[in-house]
Amino acid sequence: MSDVPAVIQWLQNSEIGTGIRESVWTFPLVETTHVLALALSVGVLIWFDLRLLGWGMKHTPVSQVHKQVMPLAGIGFIVMFISGILLFWSEAEKCYLSGFFRAKVLFLVLAGVNAAVFEFTTKKSIEEWDKYPVPPPKARIAGLFSILSWAAVIIAGRATAYNLF
Amino acid sequence: MHFLLPLFRWADGTWLGETIRGSRIYFPIIETFHLLALTMLFGAVIVLNLRLCRVIMKNQPVQQVAEDLSPYAFWSLVVILTSGFMLFTSEAMKCYASKPFQVKMVFLFSALIFHFTVHRKATRSDREPTLPWGSLVGAVNVLLWLGVGLGGRGIGFL
Repeated sequence: MSDVPAVIQWLQNSEIGTGIRESVWTFPLVETTHVLALALSVGVLIWFDLRLLGWGMKHTPVSQVHKQVMPLAGIGFIVMFISGILLFWSEAEKCYLSGFFRAKVLFLVLAGVNAAVFEFTTKKSIEEWDKYPVPPPKARIAGLFSILSWAAVIIAGRATAYNLF
Repeated sequence: MHFLLPLFRWADGTWLGETIRGSRIYFPIIETFHLLALTMLFGAVIVLNLRLCRVIMKNQPVQQVAEDLSPYAFWSLVVILTSGFMLFTSEAMKCYASKPFQVKMVFLFSALIFHFTVHRKATRSDREPTLPWGSLVGAVNVLLWLGVGLGGRGIGFL
């Protein structure tokens, strides 16, 4: 395909890309790892987001939920990211051409920016929030944005695999 | 002939199954709901059982964590089972022949039974289970749900 950049073609046709794609077990194993890591990281992160919104885990202080739950989500994200790169490597051309995959990357960036803003600025006053059942609006917005952007990542990711459009 | 074959044949012939089969987009849409709800349930299972094993949230009583998580876990389970049944009717005969599907169903029913009996007792009593017992219940619960997930993923691949 001529409209695919050379680096994408090179990735797909590299030894590792071809190896993952054509092996009987590697692709399903990497894919399964990706989905499990997703369920771990986003599944756990959701509880922190719900806590930020004041909708879930109301009896546990926000700062506690953050401290206990985020390391788990972090481990999940690392595994998800590595397995995701491997999957992309093996299907680089399909992903590059897929509108859903592009949307997924966009939502991923949005989720990442939201998380970075929260971790580096918003979070500074997290201990203060422990005094109230519901955190301040800026924290609630971060929680809602996180849930929505991750749901969008999952939806777009699932649609990439189906290659609908 | 397996004694459950009529059940699979019935599911395969339902209006629901035929409708989902007849569309290119129904199956992916339903499966996306299945996946979103599953992510939520899996997260709840991990958080609650790590608490039961005393890895996280040691300052919160197990019972309280369980009560905080349970409405979300319950409704995600409802979405998972409903969407799962819909997906099943659309490819019941494929499921009948699928080993991973059989594995998944064994794990699913075991997980549900365990969840609403032993696990519920361990997480809903005033007195927290002692460490080896609590950890064992937590580990078994996670492994059963993991088996459901792995079996489910296997249906698509094998």
